[in-house]
Amino acid sequence: MTAPAPPAKQPPLLTVENLQVEFETYGGTVQAVRGVSFSVEAGKTLAIVGESGCGKSVTVQALMGLVPMPPGRLKSGTAELRGRNILGTSQIDGLDFRGREIGMIFQDPMTSLNPTMTIGRQIAETLEVHLGWSRKKAFARAIELLDMARIPEAAQRAKQYPFEFSGGMLQRAMIAMAIACEPAILIADEPTTALDVTIQAQVLDLLGDLQREHGTAIILITHDLGVVARMADEVAVMYAGQIVERGSVDDIFYRPAHPYTVGLRAAMPSNNPDAEHRLLPIEGSPPDLFSPPAGCAYAARCPHAMRICSTHEPAPFVVGADHYGKCWLHHEKAAGGASMIAAAAAPPEKKS
Amino acid sequence: MLSYTIKRLIQGLITVWFIATATFLAMHAVPGNPLSGAKAMNVEIRQNLERKYGLNKPVGEQYLIYMGNLARGDLGISFTQKNREVNDIIREHFPVSATLGIMAVVFAALGGALFGALTALNRNKWPDTVIMLAVILGISVPSFVFAAFSQLMVVKINALLGISILPVAGWGTVSHMLLPSLVLGLGTMAYLTRLMRSSMLEIINSDYIRTANAKGLPQTRIFLQHEMRNAILPLVTVLGPSIAGITTGSFVVELVFAIPGLGRYFVQAVQQLDYTVIMGTTVFFGAFLVLMVILVDLLYGLIDPRVRVS
Amino acid sequence: MTGTTQSVQSTLAAQTTLADPALQQGAFEPIRSELRVQALTRPSLSYWQDAWIRLKANKRASLSLWIIIGLLLFTALGPQVWRVNPAEQDLLQISSAPGAERSAILVAPHSPWAASDVPPGTAAGLQLVGRATTQQVRLAWQPIPGAADYMVYRNIVEPKGKATFGLPLGPTGSGDITRFEDMLDLQPGISFYSVVPLDAGGNQGPGSKTLRVEIVNAITLQQAADRRLLEGRKTPELGTMIKLPFHPLGTDYLGRDMLARLMQGAQVSLFIGIVAPLLFVLIGVVYGSMAGFIGGRADQIMMRFADFVVALPFLLFMILFKIAFGIGPGESGIFPLIVAMVILLWPGTARLVRGQILQVREEAYVNAARLLGARTGYLVMRHMIPNTMGVILVTLTFAIPSAIFTEAFLSFIGMGVAAPTASWGSMSNDGIKSMLTHPHELFFPALLISITVLAFNLLGDGLRDALDAKLRSRE
Repeated sequence: MTAPAPPAKQPPLLTVENLQVEFETYGGTVQAVRGVSFSVEAGKTLAIVGESGCGKSVTVQALMGLVPMPPGRLKSGTAELRGRNILGTSQIDGLDFRGREIGMIFQDPMTSLNPTMTIGRQIAETLEVHLGWSRKKAFARAIELLDMARIPEAAQRAKQYPFEFSGGMLQRAMIAMAIACEPAILIADEPTTALDVTIQAQVLDLLGDLQREHGTAIILITHDLGVVARMADEVAVMYAGQIVERGSVDDIFYRPAHPYTVGLRAAMPSNNPDAEHRLLPIEGSPPDLFSPPAGCAYAARCPHAMRICSTHEPAPFVVGADHYGKCWLHHEKAAGGASMIAAAAAPPEKKS
Repeated sequence: MLSYTIKRLIQGLITVWFIATATFLAMHAVPGNPLSGAKAMNVEIRQNLERKYGLNKPVGEQYLIYMGNLARGDLGISFTQKNREVNDIIREHFPVSATLGIMAVVFAALGGALFGALTALNRNKWPDTVIMLAVILGISVPSFVFAAFSQLMVVKINALLGISILPVAGWGTVSHMLLPSLVLGLGTMAYLTRLMRSSMLEIINSDYIRTANAKGLPQTRIFLQHEMRNAILPLVTVLGPSIAGITTGSFVVELVFAIPGLGRYFVQAVQQLDYTVIMGTTVFFGAFLVLMVILVDLLYGLIDPRVRVS
Repeated sequence: MTGTTQSVQSTLAAQTTLADPALQQGAFEPIRSELRVQALTRPSLSYWQDAWIRLKANKRASLSLWIIIGLLLFTALGPQVWRVNPAEQDLLQISSAPGAERSAILVAPHSPWAASDVPPGTAAGLQLVGRATTQQVRLAWQPIPGAADYMVYRNIVEPKGKATFGLPLGPTGSGDITRFEDMLDLQPGISFYSVVPLDAGGNQGPGSKTLRVEIVNAITLQQAADRRLLEGRKTPELGTMIKLPFHPLGTDYLGRDMLARLMQGAQVSLFIGIVAPLLFVLIGVVYGSMAGFIGGRADQIMMRFADFVVALPFLLFMILFKIAFGIGPGESGIFPLIVAMVILLWPGTARLVRGQILQVREEAYVNAARLLGARTGYLVMRHMIPNTMGVILVTLTFAIPSAIFTEAFLSFIGMGVAAPTASWGSMSNDGIKSMLTHPHELFFPALLISITVLAFNLLGDGLRDALDAKLRSRE
């Protein structure tokens, strides 16, 4: 799963270019997403990693038209699904693409389902709306989907309400709901954060299996590098509303090209009992997005910060095939910068 | 569900017993004990009263007699009017109050749900501002003021147009009922609008509405099946107390609009110190309200699956 | 991914052409110490300081607070400034609206109208004799042919046809008597008098006459002297106009000064509205926190009792208790009202406080404090009270308007304060009777009730928002 992706021949399924999202608040304008570009290929998993508030959830919610406007505002950017624009609209050719072309699951399954509607109805509803199925046919399919999502006694469970389900079961029901119309892309916004560790693995396995069976592309939002190692093909590291590094999962883990990635890596617990590994927190806190710094947003926390970092925003430096990092250390004048990053990277470690 | 219903009914019975006892004690605490004292009254009535309430017997025994009568559904006889039974009074006047009350409750609930949803969906836009201003007025202005001013307005409008578009007092036709029930329901409607607004705002911003949007459901479907259905739940929970508020509010409205309802009769009875009618009517109103609260609770159980199962 | 790579390359190309001086000199020297994360410094505020700042920031709530302060000043200082006895009746200005004409003509005491007073040869149809005052209006008219009797009517609007002659004042009794004296409840202002001839059968005949009459206030010398309105005049002459006492908000149906009455009413309404909630909230807090602290069986019994009291229909039992306490002659009825309210309303607060106490008791921080060895007293002072105070304060703020409402409601249906005592509710009750003719008598007390209730409600809203910790963490 973590093997480097072969060079892309077919055009990507989803292309996002220079997405910028702002929020008007009483305190001023928050620039939550500041020029994010990425693309997703069929059957692949793109993980967007970053700490809380870095704009990763806003990015995907903006794609799905889930950012309330106002206070939110799309400042610029394009997003194309198979060459058709989806940004700023919820429709392609007059039909809602959400649920049909792109499914989405959320962080907290306990609150993300309607408490007064049965699970089966909530799944069937999607089929009724998008495929025009009858209530009965859709409900029968909902039971099949629940079964597919490995929910035991699906027929009875479909008639139950969310409060009768456990958290892990609800997340599986959410997945069943999101894939009901067999969408090309599944967006999973921190799908395991609210779950017990043991349940997390089950949910991730389910996502992986479904992806293999249906060839669904997955955009996985997470702050957990463990989840990234387990699931992702491609990784985008986000910091302060920007993608600071983009590469394959191996690039990110073995050849990080940004000090922030290095920092995240160092803050990740290791399960190798032999390695003497201390968890290193990243000092400080992310910048205020009311007025983002002129230079690199990470400069204030960066152990390798240079004079230029606080004045000029770094461009994405290509460091390998489909691998770039937005960091001045890659500039030719920054002596030994790239190697500094490489040296700082923690010893390589395989996924468990 | 059945056992829950039975449990609630038993609780309700105990509550009614408590209300009846409190009523009995309150009336016996009246200075000079009018029930046994020789207040000026018709000899015939006095004999009837003595027979009915055992007035010459000790208080404990009187209580038992009173409770026995209640258990048989006999609320007693009038203290000031000859051969007048409280049951007759209720049979005669309660339907009027009930009609008025039901119209007011329906009006308040529909208006509250509708206006509340409207304000929440147009948050901080003009419909929100206008409706919430009206709500603040509705909560702050006493019902008798509304009653009086609406009456005044209709009188002026009638005078201006030279025809009577709405009667300002009395009872009988639907047009008689409109204005009083509107006035009666107004305060409750304001309260329910406020409740609906906050409940709707919470739901609009809830995770499951985000999910519904992410599923690509049409907006009307989201509004009707996901938002409205969940937003009215808190409204139903306060419907019981609201009915109590509307019932007592009818005292004023019936007085101002000269409606021959039980509320007006009760106020009259109080002014004439018709103790037995006051007692009987109080117990009746109390029992009615307890029943309403139970009915509303059961209704809530029907529409909220979380209650239904547990 | 091709698109991304292209854009990356194009930006890189732009990069190398950068000729910014910052790039030339030492741009790539590492820096460490200069750039450190700026510490987020904010003055630390106590719970109450924070709440106060939030409350002040809430425009509606702070305006309401000022209104409430204004009302309290009106109640406390008003009677010192406007020294008019609220019980004194100004019989010359009954139900006069604010700003109404308040001059009166000095007249002699009323004397019977002798027939000889009618001027001879009364020419034009219907006319006034003497001056039209609130003491009397004297009319005389030319005989109408064929009239066996005359009926005299009075109306405040100009009559248009038979049906609108207005109030029948009476027949003259004979076709020979062509004069009439009206002394019936005369009010200053414009009136229209109509004289209608009646035939022998008592039916209205043709040839009715109507006269527009402006009636002025009249005061006798004696009355004026009694009211000390003649001070500064050496020889008061009959027929001169004098000024009657000033009533800024008019008078009520008994001629009492509205402003003074409203101030007295404010004392009663606000006293009941503040004292009763203070008492029942206090009792509720004590009862509820006891139940919450003791817990177990005692708690269950205590709360079950509270549930029963809650189930009593409130207004009915208010009335019932009021009757039970009884109001003796000369009593105001304020005390029974407060007692009844306290008896019936404490359980609401008790339930709320108990719930809060139970909730706070289970909080992790209380357990943590307990594990660190905090004593019960400390826990109560440091954790329980500060964390329930907000809820109690909000309850109190909302209890005040509902108590004022209740008082108004009961006084309105005649079950509140007893007659001579003024309260806004009882004044509204008086006012509604003459609502159609003198709306000001209802308007002012109703307005004060509404403003007071509104201000307390908005303040309560503001307080709740300011004290709600949940809301605070959301921001």
